[in-house]
Amino acid sequence: MYQYDQFDHQFVAERVANYRAQTGRFLAGELSEEQFQHLRLRNGLYLQRLAPMLRVAVPYGTLSSLQLRALAAIARDFDRGYGHLSTRQNMQYNWPELADVPDILEALAKVEMHAIQTSGNCIRNVTTDQFAGVAADELLDPRPYCEIIRQWSTSHPEFDWLPRKFKIAVTGARHDRAAVDVHDIGLHVYLDDNGERLVDVKVGGGLGRTPVIGCVIRRGLPMIHLLTYLEAIMRVYNRYGRRDNKFKARIKILVRAMGEEGFREKVDAEWSELEGSPSTLTAEEISRIESFFEPPEYPKIDDGIASLAQQRLENPAFSRWVEHNVAPHKVSGYAVVTLSTKVTGVPPGDVTDRQMEAVADWADDYGFGEIRIAHEQNFVLPDVPVKSLYALWERALQAQLAEPNVGLLTDIICCPGGDYCSLANAKSIPVAEAIQQRFDDYDYLHDLGPIDINISGCMNACGHHHVGHIGILGVDKKGQEFYQISLGGSAGNDSALGQIVGPSFSRAEMPDVLAIILDVYVNLRADDETFLETYRRVGIEPFKERIYVSAD
Amino acid sequence: MSALIEFDQVSGLLRGTERGPVALTLLAAEEWTPESEAGLLLAVDDELQPQFANASLIAVEFPSFHDGRGLSLAVLLRTRLGYTGELRAVGDVHPDLIHYLRRCGFDSFLLPEGRQVGLEDAVLAPYSDYYQASVVEPHPAFRRSRRIAHFGDR
Repeated sequence: MYQYDQFDHQFVAERVANYRAQTGRFLAGELSEEQFQHLRLRNGLYLQRLAPMLRVAVPYGTLSSLQLRALAAIARDFDRGYGHLSTRQNMQYNWPELADVPDILEALAKVEMHAIQTSGNCIRNVTTDQFAGVAADELLDPRPYCEIIRQWSTSHPEFDWLPRKFKIAVTGARHDRAAVDVHDIGLHVYLDDNGERLVDVKVGGGLGRTPVIGCVIRRGLPMIHLLTYLEAIMRVYNRYGRRDNKFKARIKILVRAMGEEGFREKVDAEWSELEGSPSTLTAEEISRIESFFEPPEYPKIDDGIASLAQQRLENPAFSRWVEHNVAPHKVSGYAVVTLSTKVTGVPPGDVTDRQMEAVADWADDYGFGEIRIAHEQNFVLPDVPVKSLYALWERALQAQLAEPNVGLLTDIICCPGGDYCSLANAKSIPVAEAIQQRFDDYDYLHDLGPIDINISGCMNACGHHHVGHIGILGVDKKGQEFYQISLGGSAGNDSALGQIVGPSFSRAEMPDVLAIILDVYVNLRADDETFLETYRRVGIEPFKERIYVSAD
Repeated sequence: MSALIEFDQVSGLLRGTERGPVALTLLAAEEWTPESEAGLLLAVDDELQPQFANASLIAVEFPSFHDGRGLSLAVLLRTRLGYTGELRAVGDVHPDLIHYLRRCGFDSFLLPEGRQVGLEDAVLAPYSDYYQASVVEPHPAFRRSRRIAHFGDR
């Protein structure tokens, strides 16, 4: 993974000093609330319902075991012993003291981490495929380009004060696990037949109040032009994006207003002035950054398949876990393991300091000391020898990180919601918990197959409800918390936005309504159809009928 | 009273100045002509016009300190139009953002009343170097010897 050089160390150290001084001036009354708000938001600090929330950047979701131990220590020393994995692959702390934040940043800087641009109207932490570098279906490792974009976007002179937040995602695999279609900019990197690095650029996707699937504005851009092309897009957005209404300020609204063609022309005209300028990447710089992401020397080991089959036969619980939580690795004898945080009774994505330390230990014992955070709010161990899966599973069971539910109904994506967030209309965590409690029969869950339930507590859509196969949105009805359900959303290669079924439901009704939806699916599915496939074949009507007939 | 901060070419530092808000008259783009003695006052959403390059002074007015349009306008004035005269940020200018303004080509900054606190170097120039190219540093760090020399020094 990437390692800081002296340049990075110095920049982050200066950022800590700068932020410490700003905090001091705010506490001394020299900066107003409004002035400090914009400054602290450039450094991940929100003032929430109960306490400040600090969002720590985990660049493209990659962590070392050393870094994860430091995050555990911060949870213990400055918070209440836990942290929260966000849907943007970051780590959030819900209970730090405002005055302690500079010390937290200093602790982070020691392990090459920061909270720069994790909130505010600027370019946010770049996200990618949690299986990057190890996925069997990868065309080109996206992480070097994420790092190049991280450096370029850090305190950019021109693009740190945008109309609205700006999210970039990069994928390099056949199967898109980074949801690039629903980002302000989505990049698909790959090699052409001559081995040249190319990138397809999508723009204007997003969730929130106006969900949109992004459109391709450039295909086959040679990688050296990545930054100048991004610069052209950002300049058009920074100049012409709306600033009068925060709900119309995202780039998707600008793209719609100008039209796809009009926007492309504007960007191309701007880029014609920038093409070949000094920000053009050099082959040396690309190889320098790529060198950090060279695959480790994988010791040649037995593929482990025979003994794994035996272990699975002997232990059905282990077998279930392998079936759902273990993905293929590009090197024979290794596997990619997802450690699910979606255990009933625990808010999705919440992890304790001890769990973090345990995961760090496993990354050292069964890998090369590397951990990923998935946007589905789970941990991933990327390089586990197949022969060690059983030992890892036993330890994960003890630590409550072995729920065999990755991709299943109970692997719910959920924002912090009204329990923590001051923007929320409704709580989201108790809904997730009620669903997990109601559907706790593994055989039923496995029979249902892959179903994504995504829950957001408000229109800002941090829980990505639009792209859940079943999406749940908290709404406020005359001061009461209600939940609107949409069906048929999907993130990935076949992105789609869910369709709302109809009037919303109270929290107490939700598990029953879910049961009806699942029942309709089970009755209508043909052969091995997944929920999404059945939905796409039969449409929303059969679901609607059953839900509202029963509700009457 | 308002405070003017200027970039000192000799020392390379930003300094508060005694000259105060300069009395030069400013005219908005609709009224200004290349013949006028007055400086040119631009709104952040004004489009570029070639004759702007001849202005004696251009001031860009920030409606709020966190409105970044003035940053792009400054970059275009410097790099697209080749304007070399004084480029001043006026309006809701914040000391903590001067390091962005400076890198986009502004060289003087008129702070509104009550914003004079905290004008030490730590506020005005908190970083010794940046990753990207900018108006004042046309080469990104990866093309400069300083970064290249550190390559391998991890």
